[in-house]
Amino acid sequence: MTATLFSPNTLLLDKHADYIAAYGSKKDDYEYTLSEYLRMSGIYWGLTVMDLMGQLSRMNREEIIEFIKSCQHDCGGISASTGHDPHLLYTLRLAILYTELIILCGTFLPVLYISIQVDPFHTLFGVAGLSLLGDEQIKPVNPVFCMPEDVLQRIGLQPDLLN
Amino acid sequence: MHGRVKIKSTAQQEEEKRKEKEKKLKAFVSARDAVLKKRSAGEHDEEALQLTRQLLSSNPDFATLWNYRREVLLHLETLREKDEVQKLYESELHFIEACLKVNPKSYGCWHHRTWVNTRLPQPDWTRELGLCDRCLSLDERNFHCWDYRRVVVKASGVSVEQELQFTDRLIGSNFSNYSSWHYRSTLLPQLHPQPAPDSAPNTSPSPTTSPQFHSHRVCEEQLLKEYELSHNAFFTDPNDQSAWFYYRWLLGRGVCVCVCLELLCICEDTSAHPMLCVCVCVYVCVCVCVCVCVAEREEMISCVYVSREGERVSVAFSKPVHAQSEGLMLVLDGQPQQVEWRSTHPRLRHSPVWLCDLPPGSISDMSNEHNLTIHWTEKHTHRDCALYTGCAESWCRDSATNLELFRSELSVEKSSVLQAELQSCNQLLELEPQNKWCLLTIILLMRALDPLGHEKETLAHFQTLKEVDPMRSTYYSDLCSKFLIENTILKMEYAEVRVFSLSNKNLTTLCHLDQLLFVTHINLSSNQLLRLPPHFAMLQCLEVLEADDNAIENLEGLYHLPKLEEVSLRNNQICKLSDLESLASCTKLTRLDLRGNPVHRTAHIESELSQLLPRVTALSL
Repeated sequence: MTATLFSPNTLLLDKHADYIAAYGSKKDDYEYTLSEYLRMSGIYWGLTVMDLMGQLSRMNREEIIEFIKSCQHDCGGISASTGHDPHLLYTLRLAILYTELIILCGTFLPVLYISIQVDPFHTLFGVAGLSLLGDEQIKPVNPVFCMPEDVLQRIGLQPDLLN
Repeated sequence: MHGRVKIKSTAQQEEEKRKEKEKKLKAFVSARDAVLKKRSAGEHDEEALQLTRQLLSSNPDFATLWNYRREVLLHLETLREKDEVQKLYESELHFIEACLKVNPKSYGCWHHRTWVNTRLPQPDWTRELGLCDRCLSLDERNFHCWDYRRVVVKASGVSVEQELQFTDRLIGSNFSNYSSWHYRSTLLPQLHPQPAPDSAPNTSPSPTTSPQFHSHRVCEEQLLKEYELSHNAFFTDPNDQSAWFYYRWLLGRGVCVCVCLELLCICEDTSAHPMLCVCVCVYVCVCVCVCVCVAEREEMISCVYVSREGERVSVAFSKPVHAQSEGLMLVLDGQPQQVEWRSTHPRLRHSPVWLCDLPPGSISDMSNEHNLTIHWTEKHTHRDCALYTGCAESWCRDSATNLELFRSELSVEKSSVLQAELQSCNQLLELEPQNKWCLLTIILLMRALDPLGHEKETLAHFQTLKEVDPMRSTYYSDLCSKFLIENTILKMEYAEVRVFSLSNKNLTTLCHLDQLLFVTHINLSSNQLLRLPPHFAMLQCLEVLEADDNAIENLEGLYHLPKLEEVSLRNNQICKLSDLESLASCTKLTRLDLRGNPVHRTAHIESELSQLLPRVTALSL
C-alpha cells in the first residue's frame, strides 16, 4: 500500500468499525464464503479490533457464540467453521477469545488438540494455547499480543484503547 | 482475502461482474455442501475426489478438504493393486503441483504432498528435489519449500556435500539469500564437525547437553574458509543483512539461530522471511531458544544468601525457574526442612530468584554456626552455604567473571580469531562508516574480546548507531544500557564491594537484576529510567537506593525489600499516591526524598503519605 496525496492521515475509526460490524451480515458475498476456511481467525481479528476500538457491543454476541459452539469438536479441537475439521490454529484463536472477550455458556473442553504439522508456527500456537488455558508450567501469555506477560512487562508495553 | 479495491466501470460491467460472481458462488456453495454431506455420510469414492478437486483447485487452503481427500485415498488404497496405487498417488502429485501454482505457500498443499510421498509405493525423490529447485528459483525464500526440501533430503539420503554445493550455487549467484545461508549453517556442522571438548574433571555432565548441541560446532579449518566467504559477501554488499547474520552465526559457532537476535532487531526485512519472525516469536513466546542458548551455560544455583535477622534464604538460579516444579530441597545442618518457596514479586511466576523462610529460631542465635545446602534435584546439582559464628549473614556465589557470564556467545571462539575478525570489520568500517551491520558486529566482537577495555569505543559506536539508524535508537539505548550494567557488575566484583553505581550513563532500562542479590547500595541517578520493574524486588539486600533525575513513574519493584532504609527519587515522574503504594511493604524504610515529583501537588499529600508510610520519619517533598 503506497501513500498518496489523497490518503487520509487520520485513523478513520468509525468507518473501520462500520466495515467490521457489517462484514458478517453479507452471507452471500463471494469472498466471505470463500474465506470460510479461516472464519474463526476472521472472528478473532474482527472482535479484538472492535474491542480495541471500544465498539465490541456492536457485534452480535449470541450469533457468534452459537457459531463458535458449532465449531467445537469432541476431541477438544476447534474448527475454522461449521462442518470443518478442528485445527490447532483455530483452537488457539478460541482460547484467546475465551480469555479476553466471551464468557461461553455450556461446556468447554480444555483439551488441546494436537495437529500433525510440526513447525515453529504450530508449536507456538500449541504452547500459547496451553498457557491461555491455564497450564501451570507455562508462562502467562497476553492474549492481545500473543507474547509472554513478563516480556511485555520488561519492555513496558501495554495495549492502548483507541477512541 | 483483503478488502477489495474499487475499480470504476460502467453500470453494465458492474452488473455482469455481479452475475458472474453470483454464479461462481452458487457453484462453490453447492459443491461444498455436497462434499460435506458426502463426508458426513462416510462416503469415500471417486465422486468425493472429483468434488474436492474442483474446490481445491481454486481454493487450496481449504484444509478440511485435504483431510477428507486423504481419508478417501486411504480407503481406495485398500481396493487397488500396488501399481494402481502408484498411479493414483502420482496423479495426486500432479494435482498438488497445480494447486501449488495457485498458492505456492499453501500449508495444505505442502503438507499433503509430504503425506503422499509416505503412501507412494515408489517415491521419486529426484523429481521431488527438482520440484524444490524450481520452486526456489521462483521464490528463494519460500520457507514451505525449504522445509519440504529438508524432508526430501532426509528421506532420499542426498548427501550433505551435495546440499552444501547447492547452497554454494545459490549464494554464488545471489549473496542476498538468507535461506541459503541459514541452510548452510545447518549443513556445515554435519560435514565438518568440531570434536566435542573434554569436560572439566570436577563438573558433572549436564543432563541437558545432548550430542545435538555439541554438533553445532564447526572445525576451525572450515570456519576460516567460511569467514572468507562471508567477507566476500559483506564487502561486496555491506547493506545486505543475510551475510551478516551468517557471519554472526559463524562467530558464535552456531549455538542457535536466535543468538542473532541483536541483528534481527535491526533487520528491516523480517516480513520477507517469516521464518525469522517465527524465530523471534518462538524465542519470545516459548523461551525454548533461551533455554537452548542458556543450556550451553551450565544450569546451576548461582547464589545462596542467608540472613539471620530475617531468618530467610534467598536463592538465585542461572535461569528463570518455577521453584515449585523444580524439586528444591533445603537441608539445614543435615536436616531437610519443610519450606515454602516464594517469588520476590507476585508478577514474577518464573524468576531466577526465590525466597523461603526458615523455621523461627533455627538460625537466629549468633553464637551458632550453620551449614545450609540447597538441592536442585531436577538438575542434579546443589550449592552449600556456611553461616559462621558472629556473622549476621552469609552468601555463596560464583563470580560473573569466572562464569564468563557476559562474555557473549562469540567468546567460545579463539581470541586470536576474534581479533582478526575485528580487524576485518574495522577495515570495512573505514570504507563504510555509517553501516549499521558493521558497527553492531564490531560492538559484539569487542564485547567478546574485552568488555571493560573496549568500553569507551563501544559507547562511541552506539552513539553513531543511534545517529545512522534513528528509528531503532531505543533499541540501541537499551542494548547499551545492558552492556554498561554488565561492565559495572564486573567492576563491582573486581573491587569486591557491594555498591552498584551507574549514574549519568543514559540508562534506559535495567537488566541482570538477579546478579544484584547481595548489593547494599545502588546509585542510578541522572539516567533515563522510566520505572523500577518487578524484577527490582530481587535486590533483597538493598539498603540505600539513589535514583534521582530520571523519569521514573512506576515503583512496582520496590516491594518487600526487607533491608531498604533510604530511598531518594528526586526529580522523577511520580504523580499519584498510588504510585507509592508498594513502598508500604518495605518495613525498614525511614528516609524518603520525593522532591521535584508531580505528586507533591496532590491534595493533603503529606498526611496521606504519613498514613501510607507511618515508619518514614524523614520525608522530603
